[in-house]
Amino acid sequence: MSVRKPKLPVIVAVHALLAIGTMAVLYPVMLVVKKAFEPGRQFALSPSPIPKRVTLDHFRALLSARGSHGELAFLQHTISSLAVAIATTVVGIALSCTAAYALSRFRFPGRKAALTSFLVVQMFPASLLMIPLYVLLHELGLLNSLSGLVLVYSTTAIPFCVWTLKGYFDSLPRELFEAARVDGAGPIRIFWTIVLPLARPGIAVTALFSFMTAWNEFILASTFLTDEGKYTLPVMLKSSVGQFSADWGQFAAGALLTSLPVMALFYVVQKYLVGGLTAGAVKG
Amino acid sequence: MKAGDLRRALRDALMIGALLWLAVTAAYVRDRNKDATQRALRHAQAAAELIAAGETPPTPTAAAAIVGAPVASKQHGFLRRRVAHTAAGPRPLGGPTAPAVDKLLYDAAGRFDKDGPFVAMLPDGSERAVAAVATARGPAIAITAGPEPRAPVPWLAVVGHLGLMLVLVGVGAVLGGRARGVGVAAGLATWAFPAYLAGGPGLALAILAVAAAAGWAHATGATDRAIAGVRAHKVALSFLAPAGVAMIVLVVVPFAVGLALGFYDHHHGRWTFVGLANFKRILTGDGHALSDPLNFWFILGVTLAWTFVNVILHVLFGTLFALILRQPWLKARGLWRVLLIVPWAVPNYITALIWKGMFAGEYGAVNSILSGLGLDRVSWFSSWATAFSANVATNTWLGFPFMMVVALGALESIPKELEEAAEVDGASSWQRFKEITLPHLKPALGPAIVLGSIWTFNMFNVIALVSGGKPGGSTDILVTDAYRWAFERGEQYGMAAALGTIIFLLLLGWTLIGRGLTKGDEEARP
Repeated sequence: MSVRKPKLPVIVAVHALLAIGTMAVLYPVMLVVKKAFEPGRQFALSPSPIPKRVTLDHFRALLSARGSHGELAFLQHTISSLAVAIATTVVGIALSCTAAYALSRFRFPGRKAALTSFLVVQMFPASLLMIPLYVLLHELGLLNSLSGLVLVYSTTAIPFCVWTLKGYFDSLPRELFEAARVDGAGPIRIFWTIVLPLARPGIAVTALFSFMTAWNEFILASTFLTDEGKYTLPVMLKSSVGQFSADWGQFAAGALLTSLPVMALFYVVQKYLVGGLTAGAVKG
Repeated sequence: MKAGDLRRALRDALMIGALLWLAVTAAYVRDRNKDATQRALRHAQAAAELIAAGETPPTPTAAAAIVGAPVASKQHGFLRRRVAHTAAGPRPLGGPTAPAVDKLLYDAAGRFDKDGPFVAMLPDGSERAVAAVATARGPAIAITAGPEPRAPVPWLAVVGHLGLMLVLVGVGAVLGGRARGVGVAAGLATWAFPAYLAGGPGLALAILAVAAAAGWAHATGATDRAIAGVRAHKVALSFLAPAGVAMIVLVVVPFAVGLALGFYDHHHGRWTFVGLANFKRILTGDGHALSDPLNFWFILGVTLAWTFVNVILHVLFGTLFALILRQPWLKARGLWRVLLIVPWAVPNYITALIWKGMFAGEYGAVNSILSGLGLDRVSWFSSWATAFSANVATNTWLGFPFMMVVALGALESIPKELEEAAEVDGASSWQRFKEITLPHLKPALGPAIVLGSIWTFNMFNVIALVSGGKPGGSTDILVTDAYRWAFERGEQYGMAAALGTIIFLLLLGWTLIGRGLTKGDEEARP
């Protein structure tokens, strides 16, 4: 915590410590990368993170595996996952932009209650609602359907998006709105021509986040989807390392292909994420 | 009397009346379907008994036959055929020209062989019933022809009822004064009668309560004020409405349903009201000893230990890394930061599966490292302590970057001058940590700890995918146990919902306490 620069041995020691810590942190990831390129179905026979032989067999097998109807399974599941994630993002963003605008720019009775309820909902994750949602989707005939999944994911996405976007809208300069109002623009016009274009970075961040929520979700998807053809990527990956036959090579290849886009997106949003999280939590 | 009084009274009555109409209609449709189901079941049973007695059933049936035991086919030994003895003589079931109903007969005979006589609805949603009774030659099976006719909607009664409601409301408004509220309440209360017929006394009482509340709200002018309020904030509310409606449909309704389900028992698709029995079963440990992993208090203990240990480790590692990363003399700070955030970016189900693979078996990565260091290999999932540690290691790995980033954010807000001044004044590094760094960390870490503890409390993926509750369910936490009630112990949705309610109450309590604590911190700050 020193402001002055410490002595050289201390600096070297801290760097070494940090390097060891980081290596330990990255070790599981390196094992997966190794497994994805190393032949064989077993997970890790040697603790070394460097493969002895390199092959693309796992990727080839994964991409060419066919499902029960002769379709390319990985491609099919990727399309399912993409469809669910994109639909969740679109529904989530459309609904939360308008709600965040109302909560940010207007004062009306019940505003505080609405804000609090969006916060409370965000704190209680989907696993608590799983049973009633399962029964409800069953009654609505939406079990085993991707649209049912989108409906459920939007629930998890909207509260977070509303809070993050509200924080973003709050930060836009008030004078702009006053000027637009004096010039005779109505609230809808202001929303469409001023708020949305200015908030584009904020919207992009929330969109990426809700995309990731849907892309990564596993429990609900594995509970609600029973038809193998409709599986999203997480469910498919989980079933590839089932209790009786575990093909870790294909799992590792699939895990890599699934997480790389997410990690790239995460890299883009991570700077903004903390601000959004803590703003939501602290301002409550 | 003023014309406005009548208009307002009718407006209120019709608005609330529409909601009541929805509720009563839903109950009516449900009641009518139940009635049709029961008739279908009765008809199937009667028809099956008639065939068993050697008579022809009078009711129209899609299929009625005594089905013989399965016999291996002559050509293909692996095919097993059954013969149906129908009124038109015996014929083998199945084959290329067989009617579709043959499959239903075959399946029903199979079920009879397994479960004995039964009567049930077909699972295909065609609203047909199937019954099987025993005879000397095999089960007598009858399948009804199609949906039973439903009673016609009593439109005349509906119109008459609406008229009565409007008249009562109108009379109240015309009399004026206190009668206005009474008129609205009485008009709405008329819904209690059809509600009683369709949904029973519970629904009727609920409707009477709503009617009384609506009458009171009308008399005191609460509805007038509410409508004026909506008018005044028309724009804001219309922007809020889409998300609000979605949240009500997708969160509030399932949540309310979930709370209600906790008071029901679910068995083979049937719900029975059992009051607080589910909660009693859970809270008394369901006949298991306190040291049994199936006892609620045992699981709660594991869950609390799990949450506590994890959050401590998250904060510890997160803060430690953050403190190192903020040193200005550190080389390549941005790179270290990005590398250390990686675990947060990996989807957590993948993390959990990777760690499961690393701990699994004799030759998993962890055991290989242990034996490389000259230590004994450990069978991680056969004792509680090691399985629990494996879960904790996984969750610590995926959870510390969040705390690290929060801590980094908080540390950035420390003014440089403050630290320099402290150093010039000769404060030791421990003093500086205690007096400057810690007070800056606290307000940011407080909410993050509350949030993180809720995430950990509900961390289904790690428990379910890494240890899977092994050994013997002893590493299960409350959310995974709730999942087991619903999907692994014979669809006991009621128990799962009751446990979900308990989890909700625990977390709500903790959030309130946590918010109190963090608020205190903020106020204490200079």
